[in-house]
Amino acid sequence: MIQFLIRRLFLILPVLVGILLVTFTITRLVPGDPCYVMLGERATESTCNDFKARFGLDKSIPEQFGRYVLNLLKGDFGNSLKDRRPITTVIAERLPMTFELTFFAMIFSSTFGILLGVISALNRNSIIDTLTMLGANMGVSMPVFWLGLLLAYVFALVLKDTPFQLPPSGRLSSGISMAPLTKVWGIQDATGVKAFGLSFLSNSAILNGLLTSNYKLFFDALKHLILPAVAVGTISLSVIARMTRSALLDVLGQDFIRTARAKGLRYSVVIRRHALRNALIPIVTIIGLQTGGLLSGAVLTETIFSLPGVGSKMVEAILGRDYPVVQGFSVVIALIFVFTNLIVDASYAYLDPRVRVK
Amino acid sequence: MKNKLFVLLSLLMLASLALAACGGAATEAPAPEEPAAPAPVEPAAPAPTEVPPMPEFVAEKLEAPGGNCDYGGTIKSIEAVDRYTVKFTFCAPEPAFVAKVAVEAFDIYDADYLKETGGDAVAMNENPVGTGPYIVQEWVRGDHITFVPNPDYYGKAPANSTFILKWNKEGAARLLDLQAGNVSGIAEVTVDDIPTIEADPNLKLEPRKVNNFVYLGINNTKPPFDNEKVRQAFAMLINKQAIVDDFYAPGSVPATQFVPAGVKPGFTDGYVDTTYDMAKGVEMLKAEGFDFEKEYTLSYAERTRPYFPQPTKIAQAVQAQLAEAGIKIKLEMEEWATYLPATRAGEKELFFLGWSEDYPDATNWYDVFLTGSSAAFGNPFPDIVDLIKKGATSGDPVARQGYYDEVNKLYAQHVPAIVIAHGTVNLAFQAGVEGVVIGPYDENFALMKTADGTVVFSQDGEPVSLFCGDETDGNSFRACGLIFSSLYNFSTTSIPEPDLAEECVGNADASEWTCTLRQGVVFSNGATFDANDVVASFSAGLDYNYPLRKGNTGSYQYFKDFFGPKVMNQPAE
Repeated sequence: MIQFLIRRLFLILPVLVGILLVTFTITRLVPGDPCYVMLGERATESTCNDFKARFGLDKSIPEQFGRYVLNLLKGDFGNSLKDRRPITTVIAERLPMTFELTFFAMIFSSTFGILLGVISALNRNSIIDTLTMLGANMGVSMPVFWLGLLLAYVFALVLKDTPFQLPPSGRLSSGISMAPLTKVWGIQDATGVKAFGLSFLSNSAILNGLLTSNYKLFFDALKHLILPAVAVGTISLSVIARMTRSALLDVLGQDFIRTARAKGLRYSVVIRRHALRNALIPIVTIIGLQTGGLLSGAVLTETIFSLPGVGSKMVEAILGRDYPVVQGFSVVIALIFVFTNLIVDASYAYLDPRVRVK
Repeated sequence: MKNKLFVLLSLLMLASLALAACGGAATEAPAPEEPAAPAPVEPAAPAPTEVPPMPEFVAEKLEAPGGNCDYGGTIKSIEAVDRYTVKFTFCAPEPAFVAKVAVEAFDIYDADYLKETGGDAVAMNENPVGTGPYIVQEWVRGDHITFVPNPDYYGKAPANSTFILKWNKEGAARLLDLQAGNVSGIAEVTVDDIPTIEADPNLKLEPRKVNNFVYLGINNTKPPFDNEKVRQAFAMLINKQAIVDDFYAPGSVPATQFVPAGVKPGFTDGYVDTTYDMAKGVEMLKAEGFDFEKEYTLSYAERTRPYFPQPTKIAQAVQAQLAEAGIKIKLEMEEWATYLPATRAGEKELFFLGWSEDYPDATNWYDVFLTGSSAAFGNPFPDIVDLIKKGATSGDPVARQGYYDEVNKLYAQHVPAIVIAHGTVNLAFQAGVEGVVIGPYDENFALMKTADGTVVFSQDGEPVSLFCGDETDGNSFRACGLIFSSLYNFSTTSIPEPDLAEECVGNADASEWTCTLRQGVVFSNGATFDANDVVASFSAGLDYNYPLRKGNTGSYQYFKDFFGPKVMNQPAE
């Protein structure tokens, strides 16, 4: 198992090189000019030539790539063209939001998705099955921006002034703020990975609230995450429910289930210990893929709910031709995907002894 | 056992979500819980009376190379005459000087603070130092900026204890925030949302009377648009009133000239716009041998602006109007990042672009578009360029109006573009927000009052930086306006009012402006404002070799636009 993981970790290197090369080339080949985006109608050729020279964009693409890779090897992702802030800082600001959103969205979608899938499979071809799958199909079909606005409308306006009112957007309520952990803990000499880690934790409102015992912050952040998590998790929920149903039905028709029942095991035990466990591999795969997708940015949800996550930043950077941000975030997203898949693969061994034996 | 662990974990997570929903709701309305008094701020500067004797004043001066304007700009020198007097000397009359320096890009910074930060916007964003009504308490990137009153502000103290600037790109989401009571006001209300706001007694719509326009640009190097008669005929085929009625916010009007009414000198009273006349337009096209079989391309970017509120619908309306005349138009929608460079490079034959005024002077209209600053319209018209230059460098308002009257006549003849509409900009507020006054360029946030003392305003984007000398976007300018001051400002009118300057007086031909500065002003870092701060702030924007000219992108575009086109010591292309 460890050998397998080490081998998979080494495989990340060629993947990373490929991602770097592809994103670098594509961003440079896409027509458009960051200078014109930033300066708008005011941009002139002279100003933009100056701009390119300042940011090294006047160099040949191979030279730019060489410099980029050299800097990357030193841990320097470069600076944003838009506001010249280090990409690592921007990542440490944006990633926690996306992690939080993904975490709660996946908790929501996995819990209800598996539950609904099991209920549906156990009541195959009944009215419950039909209604559950109808709901799942509707969940998959609903555009997330529409669902997001609908949820925001219901919980912010229709339920206004009730205990169920929820904020329609933003990360925190006015007046609630996150104190940097370096300040709270009196750390002044944090650099490199330590600084990145502290910044990451500081920017995670949930963790920040817990670590600093600021429960007002914790609950406020959690409250702001409910609607986005439900909106973005609904599609995953539907996919997971459908996959659970189909995988469970497949397993329920197999001989060992009949044997287990014939042995006199209770139906619930057969379902829980034998059927569901055997059906989990495709479900875990789909959960892994959905998680990876969400971690790479729930663009529309982040935009509708005005959440400062990876997706909204990526779109902003792509539209603004902020090359270093696009490249830096692409690398991070690729790593997230690779590690998510690694965890999914490792979970196979946990779920299925046959994989362990092989 | 492990399954139980999973179940337990899931239940825990669900419980935390439920707790947040209920417990969070119970602790709703956080604002009143917050202290009404300003949150902790940087230590206040000592009162002026406690300031130790000021060191001897060594006057600074910025002088153009060779003492002339051969470098390609208009400023010859900026000199600190004494501690509270600055003299701006131009190579030609600069009648719009006061209006230009009222723009946010010309904020004044503490010279020592510029040295400390190296003039680097990234460093300045960490702790902006200004003389405006507010100081920054925190900037939570991606989410909001919190401002608290500047205790040393020389003007009227803010009426609110906290001002929070938020942003949300989506107009519908901003409106939801307003309706839910999460924000006190929102910017850029979309046309579709106006009826909702007007019907809600808890909200109020606040229109902004700003000068802007959208135009249908025509590239006169692309046949058949190199033919003046064809361009004139196209002007007759566009029903501007119908477009305004169908797609613009109430209060918007069709455009008739290259400057809006109210820009004086500039706008010609009694001017009669080209009349919408399809029969005559078609007849003219036929007479010129116009090819009705060919398909022409009208380009635009799906980038909503107050002057271009529904880009695709407006483009389709123009397409339909021209189709009525038998002209085949293909619409080409592009992404802004590719559209703008291509248009300015002269690659488009017909295109939509627009403009919002920076300051109320004709130079901010004619000079920007009709002097050949880009290849979008093809070749500039020498007769128009000549008159615009005369108008821009004349200190006599009557003479200027004469030049611009001629320009307007020539515009109708040459038709470099077809001006379509001036769009009304709308903001919306909670009905309970008191003291709301919306000026053409600024909002009076400092004088707005709410019951809990906190004003929260949501705009459509995050400021790029809080060093606006090197920014061009309105979202940054809105934030900078709260922290910094300029020599003049627009307050809530289109008339520049003295701010850090008590007054700026021009000589007879407006080529030399002497500004008397306000005394006793201190920056939020405790430094005293003086004439050298003005020289340093302008030097950063105007002198390529100035060691503190770092900024953000280093473009300092407003300095080039208003006092350029080149800055001092700028390297040759």
